[in-house]
Amino acid sequence: MVDPMTAHPLAICRRTLVSAVCCCCLLLVPAAKSAESPHVLVLFSNNRLLPANVEGDRGLQETLPAEAELSTEFLDAPRFMGASYDRILTTFLRAKYGSRPPAAVVAAGPNALFYLLRNRGGLFPSVPIVHMGVPDSNLSSDVQLPPDVLGVPISIDFSGTIELALRLRPDARRLVLVTGASPQDRQFETQLRADVSKLTGLVDAEFLAGLPAAVVLKRLAGLGDDAVVVTPGWFLDGEGHEVTPRRSVELMADAATAPIFGTFDTFMGSGVVGGAMVDFRAVGRVAGQAVARLLGGSPPTALGLPRGMPTTLQIDWLQVLRWQMDPDAIPAGAEVRFRPPSFLSEHRNEAIAAALVFLLQSALIAGLLAERHRRRLVELAVQRQRAELAHASRLAVVGELAGAIAHEINQPLGAILSNAEAADLLLQSGANRPDELRTILADIRRNDLRAGEVIRRLRALIAKQAVERQPFDLNEALADVELILRSEARRRLATLVFGPIPASARLIGDRVQIQQVLVNLALNAMDAVADLPDDRRTIQVSVAREPGGVVLSVSDRGPGIAPEHVPRLFDSFFSTKRWGMGLGLSIARTIVESHGGRIWAENAPGGGAAFHVALPVLLAGNQETPASP
Amino acid sequence: MSTTPLIHVVEDDDSLRTALLRLLSAGGFESCGYPSAGDFLLDPPLERPGCLLLDVRLPGPSGLDLQAALRRQGINLPIVFMTAYADLASGVAAMKAGAVDFLIKPIERGPLFDAIGRALVRDARERDARQEVLCLRALLDALSPRELAVFRLASAGQRNKQIAAALGIAERTVKLQRARLMAKLGVDTPTELGRLAERLQRLTS
Repeated sequence: MVDPMTAHPLAICRRTLVSAVCCCCLLLVPAAKSAESPHVLVLFSNNRLLPANVEGDRGLQETLPAEAELSTEFLDAPRFMGASYDRILTTFLRAKYGSRPPAAVVAAGPNALFYLLRNRGGLFPSVPIVHMGVPDSNLSSDVQLPPDVLGVPISIDFSGTIELALRLRPDARRLVLVTGASPQDRQFETQLRADVSKLTGLVDAEFLAGLPAAVVLKRLAGLGDDAVVVTPGWFLDGEGHEVTPRRSVELMADAATAPIFGTFDTFMGSGVVGGAMVDFRAVGRVAGQAVARLLGGSPPTALGLPRGMPTTLQIDWLQVLRWQMDPDAIPAGAEVRFRPPSFLSEHRNEAIAAALVFLLQSALIAGLLAERHRRRLVELAVQRQRAELAHASRLAVVGELAGAIAHEINQPLGAILSNAEAADLLLQSGANRPDELRTILADIRRNDLRAGEVIRRLRALIAKQAVERQPFDLNEALADVELILRSEARRRLATLVFGPIPASARLIGDRVQIQQVLVNLALNAMDAVADLPDDRRTIQVSVAREPGGVVLSVSDRGPGIAPEHVPRLFDSFFSTKRWGMGLGLSIARTIVESHGGRIWAENAPGGGAAFHVALPVLLAGNQETPASP
Repeated sequence: MSTTPLIHVVEDDDSLRTALLRLLSAGGFESCGYPSAGDFLLDPPLERPGCLLLDVRLPGPSGLDLQAALRRQGINLPIVFMTAYADLASGVAAMKAGAVDFLIKPIERGPLFDAIGRALVRDARERDARQEVLCLRALLDALSPRELAVFRLASAGQRNKQIAAALGIAERTVKLQRARLMAKLGVDTPTELGRLAERLQRLTS
């Protein structure tokens, strides 16, 4: 702490100056503010927590000038009422606000208005009063307000609320009306009885007025499907228990077995279905605007306020659902609250984005499907072309074999014919030689079978048929073409060696196409040895087993393959033959590869070429069974 | 020596060969089968009349090879070819080389017997012609060189005087030799002599 005695005289002087300036500022600020900020006193009839008060206060603050200073007092009716309370309150307010008189007073609710009217002379005689939230039933024609006491009265729209209740509950036959025991409650009851008496219709009205809460709730709990409840709530029940009307409605809604309709928007969310309601926030806003204009200097008579606050139809969507009411019965102008916003209205952009993504994805998927379909078609077309080409090539191969085929078929046919004619002649001659005739018939039969067998074996090779993938026996397939290849080899004066061929293996695929490959390779080999001396005109067909498959080999003792031709051997349109189309080996490769196999060529160590076809087997034959001939 | 014609059947297919032999036998022909060209050439009974029923395609030498070999050896057995597959080239080759017919298997009885009949007729005719040539040649061989020279000129239609001038001998000598050769040849008139000369010329041409 600084000792003033030891402090420098200049420092003391400076500190004093600063203090003085600060004091001036502190004094000047409230003085300046009071000159600009009007003081507004708001006097609420009831307690601070009354929802109507909270809403009205909020509406008031929305429209009062920002610079206005607000003081708030609560009369706490109906707990505190009466002449002595008036006196004490007046003394208190006069003492409290004597030095800061308000520029305007707002009277919220009938109790506040009538207290002010009674005690105005002893409080703020010339200060204008703006009332709010005062029911028009409290301002009957015998109440004459001075010109500087003004405001927009509210209407408690029981008729509209009852009409709404009957509209949403068209089957209702009982109209239950609940009111309380405070003077204000009794005021509502009076109006309600008057409004109900005007009702024309089939409903029976039943009043639960000024009863103890427990009794009311018990009665409400026993209501049937044919009842609706209409209430302004209560402040005080028949046993003197004080609640806010909002709380009373909550209690009723919890207990009741019939829908409840109310007259104040502060009830919304408490369990009421709805009603023609007073909007207390709007009430506050209207009052605030009136105060603002008074503070702005407008004379009270020139404000031209409306004669009454309109009510609004409000509906609780959750209650409509709960009571299974017809949504179409909701009036067009009603404000439906607590309805979950529809997905689209709540997430519009997200929905659009999602829809766009969905559409794009759909388009993409559709595109991919179309592409897949197109590819499939192309694949099928390619497959068909390949099969046709293979068939054409097979016909060409068979054409090369025409001589051999004709020979193999015409030999037995010739034998049959000659035998038949010999028998004919024998019979004509009248010679009795049955043994010879029997021998002839046996020969005919044997030769017929022989011709049939040739045709059976070759039919598949010649016929145009769909490519099939079926299991088949490799050795049987080889045996079928062996005969004709032997015939062809004989015609060409070449030696054909068939073997070694191990026990049979089962392959999956098109048997005819594999036969075609063999015939093709064998004919090529015969071509290769055609111009060679006798001892080299030999070709060999053999089969070797290897793990998972077989290798079919066709080798010759010809000149071999020129090294420069090896890489292109299986290309289309490559041929070393003068009249070759160059398709045979290319098609052979296509066929072999479509069977999951491999074809290649090499020059044999002992001279000549060897072509190998490796094919996967479906099922290896039993090694111990002898190879079929 | 039998004079019944013998049909030689060269066919490698046993069934067909048997059937053909059977048919020929039923048709009244004598026949004999061989499975290859070589078998036939081992023992060709050529003195008997007959013909060859020959398959084009045979193991070893083909039918066409056999035809060529027989021609080279001057064996004029008529040939009827058979084939199971008619290719133009071998057909043309066979016919140009003098085949009687070229039949496509299976062969019906009618065309077969017809072709064999024609072959046998040709064989008989050729055999007759050959026989006649042999006779004529035997007759001519009996003539002396001078008589042969006179015969040539006389058969060419020259008169005795002209012949005498050509040969540088007396006309009387020509007349004498002419009478002698006509006796040797067994002809009585100059007209017959001319016909004989004509026939000789045709057969030996």
